[in-house]
Amino acid sequence: MPALLILIPLLAILALNLPWKSLMNRLAFWVGLALCLVQTGLALQPQSRFWHSPSLWLGNLLLFEPSVDHLSLVMFLAIGIVGAVTLFVCRYSTACAGNRFMVINVLILALTGMNGVVLANDLFSLYVFLEITAVASYILIAFEKGRDAFEGAFKYLILSAVATVMILAALALLMLTAGDLSFAAIQAAIASSPHSRVVLAAIALLMVGLFIKGGLVPFHGWLPDAYSAAPAAASVLLAGIVTKTTGIYTLIRLVTSVIGYNDTLQTLLLFVGAASMLIGALAALGQSDFKRMLAYSSISQVGYMVLGLGAGTVLGMVGAIFHLFNHAIFKSLLFVNAAAVEQQSGTRDMNRMGGLAEKMPVTGWTSVVAFLSTAGIPPLAGFWSKLIIIVALWEAGYTTYAALAVLASLLTLAYFLSMQRRVFFGKLAAGFESLKEGNLWILVPACVLALITIGIGVGIPWLFETFMLPIRSLL
Amino acid sequence: MNLNGILTLAVVVPFVGAFILPVIGRWSERLRNGLSLIFVLVSLVAAVALIPTVTAGRTLLVQWAGFNLFYADTLAVFMAFVSSLVGAIIVLYSFGYIRHYSWRNEYYFMVVLFLGSMMGIVFSRNLLILYLFWEITAIACWRLIGFFREKSYVLKADKAFLVTVFGALVMLLGFITIYHQTGSFDLGQIQETLQGQPISNLAVTLILFGILSKSATVPLHTWLPDAGVAPSPVTALLHAAVLVKIGVYVYARLFLASWTIEPVWHTIIPAIAAVSALVAAGAALLETDLKRLIAYSTISQIGFIFLGLAIGNEIGIAGGLLYILMHGIAKGGLFLCAGIIEQNTHTKDITKMGGLIATMPVTAVSFLLCAFSVMGIPPFGGFFSKYMVMTGAVTSGQIAIALTFLVGAFLTIIYLFRVFTLVFFGESKLAVRPLPAEGSPVMVFSVALLGALSILSGLFINFPSHFVQSAVQQIIWVQSAVNQILGFIP
Repeated sequence: MPALLILIPLLAILALNLPWKSLMNRLAFWVGLALCLVQTGLALQPQSRFWHSPSLWLGNLLLFEPSVDHLSLVMFLAIGIVGAVTLFVCRYSTACAGNRFMVINVLILALTGMNGVVLANDLFSLYVFLEITAVASYILIAFEKGRDAFEGAFKYLILSAVATVMILAALALLMLTAGDLSFAAIQAAIASSPHSRVVLAAIALLMVGLFIKGGLVPFHGWLPDAYSAAPAAASVLLAGIVTKTTGIYTLIRLVTSVIGYNDTLQTLLLFVGAASMLIGALAALGQSDFKRMLAYSSISQVGYMVLGLGAGTVLGMVGAIFHLFNHAIFKSLLFVNAAAVEQQSGTRDMNRMGGLAEKMPVTGWTSVVAFLSTAGIPPLAGFWSKLIIIVALWEAGYTTYAALAVLASLLTLAYFLSMQRRVFFGKLAAGFESLKEGNLWILVPACVLALITIGIGVGIPWLFETFMLPIRSLL
Repeated sequence: MNLNGILTLAVVVPFVGAFILPVIGRWSERLRNGLSLIFVLVSLVAAVALIPTVTAGRTLLVQWAGFNLFYADTLAVFMAFVSSLVGAIIVLYSFGYIRHYSWRNEYYFMVVLFLGSMMGIVFSRNLLILYLFWEITAIACWRLIGFFREKSYVLKADKAFLVTVFGALVMLLGFITIYHQTGSFDLGQIQETLQGQPISNLAVTLILFGILSKSATVPLHTWLPDAGVAPSPVTALLHAAVLVKIGVYVYARLFLASWTIEPVWHTIIPAIAAVSALVAAGAALLETDLKRLIAYSTISQIGFIFLGLAIGNEIGIAGGLLYILMHGIAKGGLFLCAGIIEQNTHTKDITKMGGLIATMPVTAVSFLLCAFSVMGIPPFGGFFSKYMVMTGAVTSGQIAIALTFLVGAFLTIIYLFRVFTLVFFGESKLAVRPLPAEGSPVMVFSVALLGALSILSGLFINFPSHFVQSAVQQIIWVQSAVNQILGFIP
């Protein structure tokens, strides 16, 4: 019945737009939250009948038979958690206040799109759901209707359109060769003629399209603008999960179950991954806008995931997926902190802040947890995923890339320390004497995300056995 | 209670306890202070309780879910004893020192967390666990150095964090090479797999980089003098007693007690240490900031410890270990004295002090006792350790290096006398009249205790030297067992 993960949110959007306006306005938040939490709960129970029983009549509304494996479950879990956090931030944020109902509707639409991307097992459905997610994202970025918001949304729209064209062209070429767009058929076609020019062109187009979607260097230009111009809730969703689902998950899925590894592809992935990792981190060092710094940090972290994928081993794959999940948690947490700081202090310029932790202790301490996790300091979650990626690279013989990954951790630490110094740690800056901590709508998600980060880090010996090793079945 | 339980408690109580301190501190300062001392004392008592077992030649191994977690031999218990002893005195001193400042909850949280992680490093049986605790000490250190929140202080805290994490990351690469070579992160298993073969020079270089950055050895030392902006008990904790010893300890744990390294390192490392000792002693001669001066002195003395441990013979190792104890006590005492002086005179510039012996007699005497021990004047504790290290260097035939260290020891005497004269004797150059009085009773008691320990550890040298000899016996036994496997020794 996993098809319900697409259909129920769609029905929910329809139901919410029934004529009882005031009732629906009040219900929208809770409906969205329920959807996210149920999804999270189901993803935590891989044995549940839900995942294995065949679709009922509702499922026949879809044109494809959804498939679920452990990788999908990890993605559903991340989507559920980040979705719920986004709803909380939306509830907290005053920017959201006027059109909260509209935002929540679009948000549920984005969830539908992402669930579809994860469930798809043919290229065409994948493409359709990618577009649904992208359209929802444009609206989310632009809905504040400011100049920056339109600029950010427009950049994303244009570059995404280029990516779309490339993916669509690749689809056409593959259709030409394989005669069918299901993953299995394309895999067979590629395996039978690996050196055909048409196939190679299709793969190249597909890769570039996905690199744009995932915001990898050198196709990252849209990402900092989109993340920083987006309203608080939207930037949590975008940075936490949208680009990771549309770009990185899709990349992982296609490389593992459709294209397969070869030397050229691995070199490409390793190179692009390392470039993103380093350039993102270096660019983040120079930022003074809180959210822009986090955006560049995202580019850098995505580089790690692609590096893990490029190692071409099971361990590297596990590391990449684990890092994707961890990133969803800690980067959402950082954007939640940024939302709290922006709303309470009225600015995102880090040079004007200072010592905010004195007035906002919870935000300050959760941001410490998040940044230490991002920088890969034990015992937090991010350390383990980076360690797995580095060990995988080392064992696969890519020692230079492993060393680069280690040194990029230092850069990560450097820009986050500068963020901490300018925003939270230090003497209280002038003008913030009457600053207050945010309310529970923002503190609860921050604390929950921090606890998840710590919990995963400390509980790794169990998680490695139960949760991560099953991902091996991918290869 | 069984011994494994005691060993676990020594790590877990301060480490986990640290997290409840800020919560308790919200409603009772006294209870929080008391608990933080108790948590550290638990480690101390546990270490003492383990002494008879380990000196009798037994070792302890705590397993958890089939996973080797903690391990205790004489070396580990010795190190735990030293750090928790000095740590407990520092916590006691903090009661008097830190009550004048805000963020006290964070202070006790970080100090106890730091000491708990130190216990974790000392007893860990697995390279990853060691790395984990190693980085937690770096986090605690970062918060503590930036404790007063001044912008330049936080910058220095960031610097310390970045340098030590950089070292640690390089060390992690070293661990990964070892993992690649042997297929395990477990110290015991690695030892079995290696069968006495030396580990690769690449791994040694990488790991050594991390060790030197943590132990603030030239050229990775600059963060340590800068860290002097932290509260004085913290600098005592970082510079003297615990943090810089982590590197030294890990050196002993990995390269002496667990694996063998190629003989060439027995010359390279003493040479690095000699440069470090000499450069830092020179810097200490010129420095006028009291805490920076003592910090340079620490860097210089760490060189002596490395010399003893790396020279590769029994008496050198014993001297190096003894040095850890003596230096921890004496240098901790010096920093705590500096804390009293700084807090009461509101300056750290030694050229602006003078004549303080009249109003701070106890602090002055304690400072002198500790300084004598650092200089290595008989019958103070520091004399024995320095003597043994030098003997070790001479017996191994490294005459040039031994002579360099002799110069270093000579410089130590000069700069410590210089600072003592400038601070305590002569006309006072301080603007305030009357001259500042002694610190609070608990602070004065702490420094007096460390001063007394400096001389007592020398007078009753038997106890620590037995302890150290037993540790060395175990290490040598490990090494000779390894050699037997190889068939070098019939």
